[in-house]
Amino acid sequence: MVYIIRIIISVCVTLLISCSQVQTEKDSQLALMKTTNPNPTVTEKNNGQEKVESIEREVESFDEIYDVAVVKGKKETLVVYKVKHMQRFRMKQIEKDLNKILEEKHPKEQFTVSSDYKIFLEAVRLIERKEHGNLSDKQAENRLNEILKMTSDIK
Amino acid sequence: MASKQKKMTPQQQKYQQLQQKHELKRPVLKNCIKAFWVGGLICTVGQAISYFYIYYFDFTEQNVGNPTVATMVFLSMLLTGFGVYDRLGQFAGAGSAVPVTGFGNAVISAAIEHRTEGFVLGVGGNMFKLAGSVILFGVFSAFVVALIKTLLGMWGVL
Repeated sequence: MVYIIRIIISVCVTLLISCSQVQTEKDSQLALMKTTNPNPTVTEKNNGQEKVESIEREVESFDEIYDVAVVKGKKETLVVYKVKHMQRFRMKQIEKDLNKILEEKHPKEQFTVSSDYKIFLEAVRLIERKEHGNLSDKQAENRLNEILKMTSDIK
Repeated sequence: MASKQKKMTPQQQKYQQLQQKHELKRPVLKNCIKAFWVGGLICTVGQAISYFYIYYFDFTEQNVGNPTVATMVFLSMLLTGFGVYDRLGQFAGAGSAVPVTGFGNAVISAAIEHRTEGFVLGVGGNMFKLAGSVILFGVFSAFVVALIKTLLGMWGVL
């Protein structure tokens, strides 16, 4: 019995140590657990950086939301956010309100809005890789399209 | 209860009083605290597993529940086989029985109990003796909820 408990504890410790290996992409490692607030990004350089920043400010103005990631592609803009714990009962209403405000303020833009943790994590990973210069504009656009497809699949 | 006491003879009533005097009180609060912490710990492990699946695989928040539940049930089945979960159950009571891990425990403990009766009639026949009711009522209540949701959707309420 004692041996089994020791084995379980050692497996848990090994898993924890292996998960905490130093990596260059730090923000996305803890994106599921803590607030990251990544910089809003555009897949193509000089293509509406101010616009995405204003979109992020508008989304952050919601009291129920506490962490926002915005990625603008050629056609669509991905807006991902985390909702405060006790407000998660009103998830659908928050998404509706957010969509309405974004469409009113930016009628020419096409938005995809999501509060899913997986989408948030992938958006943060994309932003980090773009910031570190690991992705070209085309690769970033392709990855964004993949994330958008994943978002539409879960709706 | 009152009618039962009326039927009792004076000797029986005296014995009843004596028994009540010497009866040990159940430590309800202590049991609740133990159940709360152990149940919470199991749920924390479940949350960690679901984050693991989101982080390393292509599971979204909506469908990560399926592999998480499967993993938790599998782990509790292993622990039951090793004899660890029984001790945990003795210590935490409902804290270990109410989470989904209790389901795995119910299946495997019944299988172990009846293995001497053979694999088909013993293990196969009695494996779902406890867990069968969980599956039955789970499936039935899911059917009822789905029916209500479909009807509300058809009427335009949802």
